[in-house]
Amino acid sequence: MSHRRVSPGDDTNGTTAGRPDASTAAPAQDRIVDPRAVRVALAPVAAHAEIDPIVVEPPAVPVAPAQRIAGLGVLGGMAAPASGFGASDVVDQGIVLIDGDPVHIRLDRLGPVHGVLIDDRTPASRTSVLLLPFEPAPGAPGSGGAAVQRSGVERREVVVDGWRVEIEIESERRASLRERARRGREESARGGPTEVRAIIPGVVVSVSVVAGDAIVAGQQLLVVEAMKMQNELRAPRDGVISRVAIGAGRTIEVGDLLLVLE
Amino acid sequence: MATSRSESLPSLRKDMESATAAPFRRVLVANRGEIAVRIIRACHELGMEAVAIYSDADAEAQHVRLADLAVRIGPPPPSESYLRIEAIVEAAQATGAEAIHPGYGFLAERAAFARAVEDAGLVFVGPPSASIDALGDKLHARRTARDVGVAAVPGTLEPAPVDRPDQVASIIAEAEVIGFPLLVKAAAGGGGRGMRRVVSAADLPAALAGGSREAASAFGDGSVYLEREIVPARHIEVQLLGDVTGHVVALGERDCSLQRRHQKLVEEAPAPGLSREERHDLHAMAVRVATAAGLQNAATAEFLRSPDGAFYFLEVNTRLQVEHGVTELVSGLDIVREQFWLAAGRPLSAEALAAAERAADPAGHAIEVRIAAEDPSRDFTPTPGRIRRWLMPSGPGVRVDTGIESGDRVPAEYDNLIAKILVHAGDRDAAIARLRRALDETEIAGIQTTLPFHRFVARSEPFRAGELSTGWVGDWWDGPAEFRRAAGVALLAGGLNALTSGHAMTPEGRPSSPPTGDEPSADGRWRHAAHAAATDRWPS
Repeated sequence: MSHRRVSPGDDTNGTTAGRPDASTAAPAQDRIVDPRAVRVALAPVAAHAEIDPIVVEPPAVPVAPAQRIAGLGVLGGMAAPASGFGASDVVDQGIVLIDGDPVHIRLDRLGPVHGVLIDDRTPASRTSVLLLPFEPAPGAPGSGGAAVQRSGVERREVVVDGWRVEIEIESERRASLRERARRGREESARGGPTEVRAIIPGVVVSVSVVAGDAIVAGQQLLVVEAMKMQNELRAPRDGVISRVAIGAGRTIEVGDLLLVLE
Repeated sequence: MATSRSESLPSLRKDMESATAAPFRRVLVANRGEIAVRIIRACHELGMEAVAIYSDADAEAQHVRLADLAVRIGPPPPSESYLRIEAIVEAAQATGAEAIHPGYGFLAERAAFARAVEDAGLVFVGPPSASIDALGDKLHARRTARDVGVAAVPGTLEPAPVDRPDQVASIIAEAEVIGFPLLVKAAAGGGGRGMRRVVSAADLPAALAGGSREAASAFGDGSVYLEREIVPARHIEVQLLGDVTGHVVALGERDCSLQRRHQKLVEEAPAPGLSREERHDLHAMAVRVATAAGLQNAATAEFLRSPDGAFYFLEVNTRLQVEHGVTELVSGLDIVREQFWLAAGRPLSAEALAAAERAADPAGHAIEVRIAAEDPSRDFTPTPGRIRRWLMPSGPGVRVDTGIESGDRVPAEYDNLIAKILVHAGDRDAAIARLRRALDETEIAGIQTTLPFHRFVARSEPFRAGELSTGWVGDWWDGPAEFRRAAGVALLAGGLNALTSGHAMTPEGRPSSPPTGDEPSADGRWRHAAHAAATDRWPS
């Protein structure tokens, strides 16, 4: 285990009202359910222009961090965590590789949850962080860690300056396998149907299309009400609606299939 | 029939005997969340018993635990619980409550609710139904302002014709006089519903029709009118109290300019940059409008301030405002407590009158930030879910109003405000420094909140310099960039920690199982785990 790769839930292909190039047939196990990791952007709302509902649409550029820190690993100076539980280290320090570049960096732990990340790059910085394991609901199927272990993916919640970031940690080997699988899917998915899935939870207020409708990119597909706000979902691209999976009045969760676009 | 937690209706509180006088013996709080907690606290300080109501989503909520009695009012959807007028009045009668405090939101500004409470022989803690009716109609309020010589935002005073081709020319002529861009607003409106921004005459008929339709479905009243869009504007409002004799006073003003989608994010008192004379004049204008409208109990008159310093009357909110706390901090007055005495028919208290005397000379400076279950990197979209860690600040000059504890779930059914963090200090700079300190102490995990936005505001030079306007968020806030910066740090910290520790940190300090490095499996277990997490965070 010399290298692990860390990414902010970057394998979200096909999870959202999808990017047309790689959205179909994405196995559910690659789906990141946290909205943080789902690639969506909301149209910026100018002052006083908040007259229309919020527009939720898949953007060209994901809001989730574009910065990809791959190949984070140990060069030296650190005890390798060869087998499970290490000593009660209070300082994680050493030189790590970020996109191949060696960086001096240190994490001082101040307790079970608190830490300070000390980054000696310019400008040098000290940032307080909260580190929590990612936990499914107690008693829910999949809780207890077995599923997480089996998949080889460790998920964590890290809070920095009030921002909540879910990260995944996986082995280098798993990451490259996953990359290969993803590229394969993209190849086969090009030109195929797009599954449009819910990116926020709520109640479907109205559905503006029926199967067979020809639509253009940006056209309103349906309206979802969540927390007293009406959110409009728009078409990610031109196409024909091949299936409408939900109806008005339905309560939806993140990831639920809404409709399919050919 | 609603069931109460206790069968014994006689006095439940041991301290009742010692309480010499209270406005009421028992009060039903017709709300939830932080405002229900705030009102229950006032009840207990006055020696009154508090009756909570709750939906199934709130059965274990803090406001239910703090109350002396609690009545289940229905399933989670507001229309089946907190908006059920008959059930709430019945709960009050069944529990022997003498008065009902509506808080804000839900039924607070429904004249029908105030009337139902009055008709049941109970006391509504707020303005009488007639003034809620009168002031809830924004056109009526605008005409009232005109009658007492207070300038309203330029616009029309009567409902605009909708879907009347024969009158298009005349309404366009009126619009040209007001000037573009302008706003189509709902007479019965609030929260931006029924509102349309119109940049040219050609768009006006469609905006009138659309705004009217939305208003009709939201408020049951499709009346719309035109109002000039004042940009950049500051939103400044005046806290008012009135008694049954018609005596109305102002307790001071608040600046609530930092908003998104017409929802306030940051409020402060006093409004920065106003002279003593300007405060006086503004307070006097608010009192004139409220007096003419026959206002009683607590209300707030809202104004816009244009860049040239002119104030324009916007509307009167006939309820306790979310942001009443900043006025309490700089006036020294407990507004909820005053509300109860006023509702009981007392004249304005000596404390209230003294606070009104000092209204233009407030004590120090107070700032409130609203911690909401919203993602400020995604245009403040809602983020309901379970709070996994919840540490609120404390220390000198810090007040936190909340109804949330660690482990609580923020339901998707209700308003996403989960806490108000208020600071008070000798002057504005000291208050900002205190806010910065308080927000540094604040820890929330499990759901994304507006905390990072407020940390940004507390460090913002334009904010410190008093550059406030309703366009502030759009002008200064780049949520995605702020998130990307934090995510970079999170990746390093999480990755480094995983590399060196080989075991995860847990909230209890208990090591969880180390990752095994197994290969990805296609058996869908991952999906189950993910689905469970989604179910927890995104309740259906």
